[in-house]
Amino acid sequence: MDGIHDLGGKQGFGPIPIGDNVCFHHDWERRMWAIARSDVLPPGCTIDWFRHSIETMAPGNYLTLAYFNKWCTTHLMLALDAELITLDEIAAGHMDTPAEPAPALTLDQVIAAGRKQTRDFSCETMTPARFGLNDTVTTRRHINANHTRLPAYARNATGTVIRHHGAHLLADKGAQGLHEAEHLYTVSFGAPELWGKDANPIDTVTLELWESYFV
Amino acid sequence: MPTFSSDKAATIHRHLHSHLPSDPALRVKALESLVVERGLVAPETLDAWVQAYSEHIGPMRGAQVVARAWNNAAFKARLLDNAAEAIKDFGFEGSATGHLIAVENTDTSHNLVVCTLCSCYPFSILGMSPSWYKSIEYRARAVREPRAVLAEFGVVLGDDVAVRVWDSTAEIRYIVLPQRPPGTDGWDTEALAKTVTRNAMIGTDRVLKAQVE
Repeated sequence: MDGIHDLGGKQGFGPIPIGDNVCFHHDWERRMWAIARSDVLPPGCTIDWFRHSIETMAPGNYLTLAYFNKWCTTHLMLALDAELITLDEIAAGHMDTPAEPAPALTLDQVIAAGRKQTRDFSCETMTPARFGLNDTVTTRRHINANHTRLPAYARNATGTVIRHHGAHLLADKGAQGLHEAEHLYTVSFGAPELWGKDANPIDTVTLELWESYFV
Repeated sequence: MPTFSSDKAATIHRHLHSHLPSDPALRVKALESLVVERGLVAPETLDAWVQAYSEHIGPMRGAQVVARAWNNAAFKARLLDNAAEAIKDFGFEGSATGHLIAVENTDTSHNLVVCTLCSCYPFSILGMSPSWYKSIEYRARAVREPRAVLAEFGVVLGDDVAVRVWDSTAEIRYIVLPQRPPGTDGWDTEALAKTVTRNAMIGTDRVLKAQVE
């Protein structure tokens, strides 16, 4: 989708807030991150549906809400969408019918659980790869209205395959709850191809792109 | 089950925005109460996660990996070949590092990592990202004018140094292997790790110093 989240190359935003070098400003942000480390999303939710759900916020809110506020709001949205909670329960801050409490984990237990959160998105496919190392590829100009990982700045552009990762789960389908394998490549674009003749010709921008993103 | 409907998600978002308290601390408090009362997580577990990410899971991990690569050529070769496997030596595998790639700075190239579409980051090796990394400004500008962005961080590159910007658009994540600071011959990995800054592993720092301020 051509959403406001697709920020690469947009101009007019000003200096990077380099002094803002902390990970969390407030306790509620640490708390939100801790909630996100726990298995609280609706069953069947994919990482791609989570990302796409953030993208569906009103554009003005996307640009102005704090990062972890967007996460919190999206967690509530996802639970409402899956009909696991109601608006009244959110307003009350309590469930009408509380469930059995979850067991409390210690520091050592969550660190061990953290190691298990590693995930493998590669998968088998019978479809042969259309491209190989050093092949030239051109990206599509048009995208679907749903979730995609082909940013606007890299559309209708020609680059070179510098890695083939085999097949990975396709994010576009993952956002629809579908598990589909597709070849994934790292593609290097010369800066002038993306930004025009004033860009430094020795600089490159690389992206991970699935095979269906190419013409 | 999720509906996977963009339109429904957009409608709920707009509805929620007009019903939720504007104070994000209250929003998160409500979310925490609800996930606890649904029996999904205990408050003590959330305390433990907060502590884990403040004391144990952070850039000190990446710094150890970088320092070992500087002192051990065989490990460096493994790291550059398959970083996701190499970090298992330390038990650092975890969130968002299942497809980790290490990219090496050289005299003629400099690597810079960004996620323009969201804020992808290799959490289990670098912890939560700094606020500037998640900022609209960094996401918008890093791909288009990396040299200007780097200059704001105090990194000025000569025309003979190529900038390689890595935009994390899939589940591949990147960590930059910076150059070893001069004047550190013979240093052990523990001392070397102290010279490695978080920004150097993202790419917004380049010349590391033997003397840590």
